[in-house]
Amino acid sequence: MPAAKDTFAAMNRLPLPQELYLIAHEPSGKPLVHQSSMALGLAGAALLELALSDRVTIARGRGIVADGTPVGDAVADGLLPLILRDRFGGDVKSWIKKAAGDVYDRTRGSLITAGVLTQVTKRRMGVLSQTRHELADMAWVVRACSGVRSAVEGREQPDARCAALCGLVGVLKVDAALYLGRPSSQLVGRLRAIAGENSPVVQEVVGIVETLINEAAIAVYR
Amino acid sequence: MQPQESIEQFGYRQELRRGIGLADLVFYGLIFMVPIAPFAIFGSVYFASGGMPVLAYLVGMVALLFTAASYAQMVKAFPLSGSVYNYAGRGIAPPVGFMTGWAILLDYVLAPCLLYLVASIAMNSTVPQVPVWAWLIIFVAVNTVINLRGIRMTVTLTKVMIAAELAVLALFLVIGVWALLQGRGREFSFSPLFNPDTFSWSVVFGAVSVAVLSFLGFDGVSMLVEESTGGSAQVGRAMRLALILAGALFIAQVWVAALLVPDPGGLLAHPSDTAFYDAAAVAGGDTLSRIASTATAISWGLANTLVAQVAVSRLLYAMARDRQLPSFLAKVSVKHSVPTNAILLVAALSIGLGGWMSTQKDGVSLLGSLINMGALVAFVVLHVSVIVHYTIRGRSADRLSHLIMPLIGMAILIFVVINANVMAQTVGLIWLGLGALVLAGLYAAGRWPALPDLTVPERSA
Repeated sequence: MPAAKDTFAAMNRLPLPQELYLIAHEPSGKPLVHQSSMALGLAGAALLELALSDRVTIARGRGIVADGTPVGDAVADGLLPLILRDRFGGDVKSWIKKAAGDVYDRTRGSLITAGVLTQVTKRRMGVLSQTRHELADMAWVVRACSGVRSAVEGREQPDARCAALCGLVGVLKVDAALYLGRPSSQLVGRLRAIAGENSPVVQEVVGIVETLINEAAIAVYR
Repeated sequence: MQPQESIEQFGYRQELRRGIGLADLVFYGLIFMVPIAPFAIFGSVYFASGGMPVLAYLVGMVALLFTAASYAQMVKAFPLSGSVYNYAGRGIAPPVGFMTGWAILLDYVLAPCLLYLVASIAMNSTVPQVPVWAWLIIFVAVNTVINLRGIRMTVTLTKVMIAAELAVLALFLVIGVWALLQGRGREFSFSPLFNPDTFSWSVVFGAVSVAVLSFLGFDGVSMLVEESTGGSAQVGRAMRLALILAGALFIAQVWVAALLVPDPGGLLAHPSDTAFYDAAAVAGGDTLSRIASTATAISWGLANTLVAQVAVSRLLYAMARDRQLPSFLAKVSVKHSVPTNAILLVAALSIGLGGWMSTQKDGVSLLGSLINMGALVAFVVLHVSVIVHYTIRGRSADRLSHLIMPLIGMAILIFVVINANVMAQTVGLIWLGLGALVLAGLYAAGRWPALPDLTVPERSA
């Protein structure tokens, strides 16, 4: 949907999953958290993108599709067919778990398509081939972090998207990427508080992502 | 209820993928029990049973088949991937659930400690130049690093480990039977099953309290109920199958080993941690003895500790999440997707307690008895949960499944507990007393045990 795409462009910002991806990776492309945690965080971000664009309504752990038109982001829009084919009775946890299956590749793919990431293949010790997805321009990360940093420092009142990003950065504990020089426990607490204060939907989805990350850590089989 | 009944009516939502079939569930139960488990505690069982280890394993299997039946009933009623903590809490009352969880914590928390100790003794028997305590530190360090890195058993690895353990067992049985036919050891007899000179029920039940250790872990299958393709009915079947399979394997190996024991009188007078390896040496020399001890070390010290760590982490997480244990025990590392604090707690306990037990003559036996005590008390409560939930509250007409079988299972386990090691009984009682104090503390702090809402959440169209 071009209009929606233009919205992201006009804001000069990336959609939520992509911003979270950039914050949660080093510029060299190395992820800062475990892949299962990362995937659950990105899936939560994609769902929040839909919820904050009024495509999905969420309350008390259940969701329904309010408007099936795409938002213009490949990752979030990729979630819509899954929700429309819902076999989980509107269970948001199940949506996130299901979406987590391929959301990482989709997010990375969309960032490559947008030119934010570049695929680089190197040889380790001259033999082993290794592919990394490096950042093309640091400005994207700076932009992704700026809203979160402003919200944490109280310089700006965060909107719902920013609050959602704060919450997910807090849950994934990638606060070190913000370079705020504060103790992690304090910073994570502040990020979670921002998410909690802003919108019940943000608070709920961020809480579900946190629960799923905890449960993934004690799963019998990965 | 149908096999695919929803867990949502219990305040939880479906989380885990349902993709594990009957065979995988049985394999998981077997890897948890370890098909060659008697290798490590054969000496203690032989000593406690008056030379009738086969009878001890047979009675133990029957007792736990009743327990498996009660598990199947509770898994059917509450298809949650919890543990007996969940079933007692929901089947009877949350405070009972807390006390049951507390009792089985003794099993779950001490199990890795015992596994490390047994593996260390086995390795010390293979490489005597390295002392047991040093092997213990090595095993704890290696496993802690593996666990903290987020590496755990996969379905494929489970199958590979089972195949390897069965291969070692088959080797022992073939060489053992061949040796017996060649006249080594003693000629075939039923004395490992029944010896009128040493038989008494107190001896048998006392021995069961030791032998039952080999079966512990069959209940770990219940952790996979949410992933089971056949739901709770399949989990019940898998538990029974795993128990029967393990029981048959245990009986076969201890029968052969009992006939190969080089000094039966000596073993009846003093238990030995290396009795099985000594019996293996009679049949196949040092090579078979070393294969048996190395297989024990790998299966107990690596494969089983991986699954035991998951079990203890899940129990600590569930109890801490329900605010019945300190919240730091539920903390996970997002970076590595592992329950860091639970892993470190188990490592610290294993080094401390395992190190101390390694200096005790009957360390393995005592640790095993403590673990069994925790599990047996919890299993008794499980039987009570079936009676309370189905017969008293649900007014079930199925008297066999919901009253008679739990009562028989409970009676056997109570006999086993009564005849268990006195030290284990004392420590078990102290542990339960401590649990009662913690429970009183929770009440005093206004944090009385509660489980998530049991009401049925509204379903969207």
